[in-house]
Amino acid sequence: MKRWAPWIAAAFAALLLPHLFASGFGLSLLNRMGIAIVFALSFNMLLGQGGMLDFGHAIMLGFGGFLAMHAMRLAGLGWFIPTPLLPLVGAAGGLASALLTGWIATRRDRTAFAMITLGLAELVVAVVLMFPSVFGGEEGINGDRSDGPAILGFDFGSQMQVYHVVAVWTWISALLMWRTTLTPLGRLANAVRDNPERVGFLGYDPARVRFRVYVLSGLFAGIAGGLQAINDEIMTSGNIGSEASGAVLLMTFIGGIGTFWGPILGAVLIVLLQVALGTLTDAWQLYSGLLFVAMVVWAPGGLAGILLAHAPVMRAGRLGQLVGHYLRLIPGFALALAGVAGLSELAFRLEAIRGGASTGRIMGLAIDATAAWPWLVAAVLFLAGAALLNRTFPQARAAWQAAAQ
Amino acid sequence: MNDPGSGLIVTGLRKSFGALEIIKGVELSVAKGERHAVIGPNGAGKSTLFHLITGRFPASDGRIELDGTDITGWSAHQIFRAGLARSFQVTSLFPKLSVFENLRCGAMRNFGAGVSVFRLLDGFRPLAEQAERTMEALGLTHRRHVAAGSLAYAEQRALEIGVAIAGGAHTILLDEPTAGMSRTETERAVALIRKVTEGRTLVMIEHDLGVVFDLADRISVLADGKVIASGPPDQVRGDAAVRTAYLGAAAEVLT
Ligand SMILES: Nc1ncnc2c1ncn2[C@@H]1O[C@H](COP(=O)(O)OP(=O)(O)OP(=O)(O)O)[C@@H](O)[C@H]1O
Ligand SMILES: [Mg+2]
Repeated sequence: MKRWAPWIAAAFAALLLPHLFASGFGLSLLNRMGIAIVFALSFNMLLGQGGMLDFGHAIMLGFGGFLAMHAMRLAGLGWFIPTPLLPLVGAAGGLASALLTGWIATRRDRTAFAMITLGLAELVVAVVLMFPSVFGGEEGINGDRSDGPAILGFDFGSQMQVYHVVAVWTWISALLMWRTTLTPLGRLANAVRDNPERVGFLGYDPARVRFRVYVLSGLFAGIAGGLQAINDEIMTSGNIGSEASGAVLLMTFIGGIGTFWGPILGAVLIVLLQVALGTLTDAWQLYSGLLFVAMVVWAPGGLAGILLAHAPVMRAGRLGQLVGHYLRLIPGFALALAGVAGLSELAFRLEAIRGGASTGRIMGLAIDATAAWPWLVAAVLFLAGAALLNRTFPQARAAWQAAAQ
Repeated sequence: MNDPGSGLIVTGLRKSFGALEIIKGVELSVAKGERHAVIGPNGAGKSTLFHLITGRFPASDGRIELDGTDITGWSAHQIFRAGLARSFQVTSLFPKLSVFENLRCGAMRNFGAGVSVFRLLDGFRPLAEQAERTMEALGLTHRRHVAAGSLAYAEQRALEIGVAIAGGAHTILLDEPTAGMSRTETERAVALIRKVTEGRTLVMIEHDLGVVFDLADRISVLADGKVIASGPPDQVRGDAAVRTAYLGAAAEVLT
C-alpha cells in the first residue's frame, strides 16, 4: 500500500495541475514536462539502472515520433486511428528502432557501447536527411492531431485535451518503468551495470540482458516520441539528432541517475529552465550546460542525490541546524551567478552588435556591451561570489557532515 | 559416486597468453560428490585453470567434460546452466546492490527467473527464502541492506562464497575462499562450505593447508602449469615430487 501512495498522489496531482496552470503557456509547459519525464525515465533505464550511456537516445524517440506522425496523417486520410492511441504507434516505432540499433550496440558495454551509440546518432541523422519522402527533409513532417476520429466528443485539438492524453501516458509509462525495476530483468540490469562479467557466471548472458533493457527503453522512448508528435504536430530531424540526445542526458543527470525518480526532477527543472530562460535570453543552453558541469563536479548524485543526502539528517530531526548554513550560501551563489550570467550575456550581445544589431537591452536593462564597465562589474561580481562561496561552502558541508552523523 | 564419465574431467588442457604457455597439459579428474583441493605455488596457474573450466576465456587446446557433457568452448553462462558455479579469488560482487540482492542474483537462475519483465522478483518466494537462508549461514543477516561495496573485506569474501553457492549448483569451484579471513572467519567459512557441498562436487583452490587437509577427499598439486600429483591427502603428503616442487619450507606441516 505504501508503495502505491506516490502513484496515487501523482494521479491526483495530474488532475489538479491543469487547473492551477490553465493558461495556454502553463499547459504547454506541463505537456512538455510530461514528455520529458517519460523520455528521461527511459534514458535512465539505460544509464542509471543498466550502466549504458546512450548518446543516441533520441533515435528511439525520433522513430517513435515519426511513425506516430505518419499514423496521424493517415488518420487525416480517414483511417480510424484515435489520437490518444498514437503513443502506442510511437512505442512500436521506438521498439523497432531499438531492435535494430540495440542488436549492434548492446554487444558491448561501457565506453564501447557509448561510442557505438554516438556513431549511430550521427548515422541516423544522415539517413533521415537521405529520405525526405519519409522524414520530410530539413522541414520535417507535420500533421493535425484533431484529424483523428473524435472520442466521446473530444477531438484532441485543444491544449487541455492534449494535456490529459500526455498525463495519462506519462503516468502509465512511469508506473510500468518503475515496475520493471522490481522484476528479474530490472535486477539483472543493475547487476550488469555493476559487474557484467559476474552476471555471466550466474547463468545469464550479459549482452542479452543489455539488449532486453535497451529494447524496453526504446519502447518507452517511443511513447515519448508519440506524445511529442501529438503535442508539437511536427517532427523534424532535430528531434532525432545528437542535440536532442544530449538534452536528455543533461536533464537525467541533473535530476540524478542513482534513483528511479531523480530523472523526473531533472526533466521538470530543465523544461522549466528552457522555457523560463528561453524567453529571457538566447543563452539558456549555456546555463543548462553550466548547471550540468557544476552537478557533475560537485553533486554527481544530481538533485535526487542532494535530497537523499539529507534523509538521515531529517530522520535525526536536525534539518533545522542546517538552514542557517544553507542561507549563508545564497549571497555568494547569487553574486557568482549574476557575474556568470552578466559575462555570458555581454558576450552574446557583443557578438550580436558586431553582427549589426543595435545595443539593445540585456535582461531588460539598458547596458552597452561595447563599454568596459559592464564587463568589469560582472567580473567583480563573479569573483566576489566565488570568494564568498569558497568560505561558506566548506562550512555548509561540514555542518551537513556533522548533522548526518 | 564412481560411475565413469560423471563429475569433472579435464584432459590435455593448455592455455597460452601470447607466446607464454601458462597451462601446459593439465589432467584433472574430480568424481561426482567429491571434495577436491587444488594446491600449488603462486603463479602455478591455478586460477587460470579455473578460468578455463568456467569459460572465462577459451582454452588453447584440450577438453573439459562435466557429467559426460563436453563443455569445451562453452560460454560462462552456458557452463553455469550445466550446473557449475564459481567464486573468484579477486572479489567480484555487485558493489551497489545490497547483500540480499547480491545473493538473490546468485540464486536467481536456478530458481526459475529468466531475463523477464512479467513477474515481480518478490513473487519468487523460494528464491527470496534461499537468499535469506544463505545470508543467515554467512552470518550477514544484520548487513542485509548494506551495499556490497561498503562491506568490510572479510564480509565481502564471505559474500563472494555466498553468491557462488546460493544457486545450489551441483558443482562448485571456489578460488581461495578463505584468503584474507581471520582464524574464526575461516572456521566459519569452512563449516559453511562443508555443509553446502554435502553431496555436491567441490573443487577448491586453497593455500591454507590446514583447511585443505581438513576438507578435501583428494588433492591435486599444480606446479608450473601441470598437475604433478593427484590423490588422497596421505598419498600427496608423501609424494617426493610434490615436496621438491612445491612444499619446500612448508614440508614440516605435512610430516
Ligand atoms: N590474462 C593473462 N595474460 C597474461 N598472463 C596471465 C594472464 N592471467 C594470468 N597470467 C599469468 O599466468 C600465471 C598464472 O597465474 P594464475 O593467476 O593462474 O596463478 P595462481 O596459481 O592462481 O597464483 P596465485 O596463487 O597467486 O593465485 C601468472 O604468471 C600470471 O601472471
Ligand atoms: Mg590464483
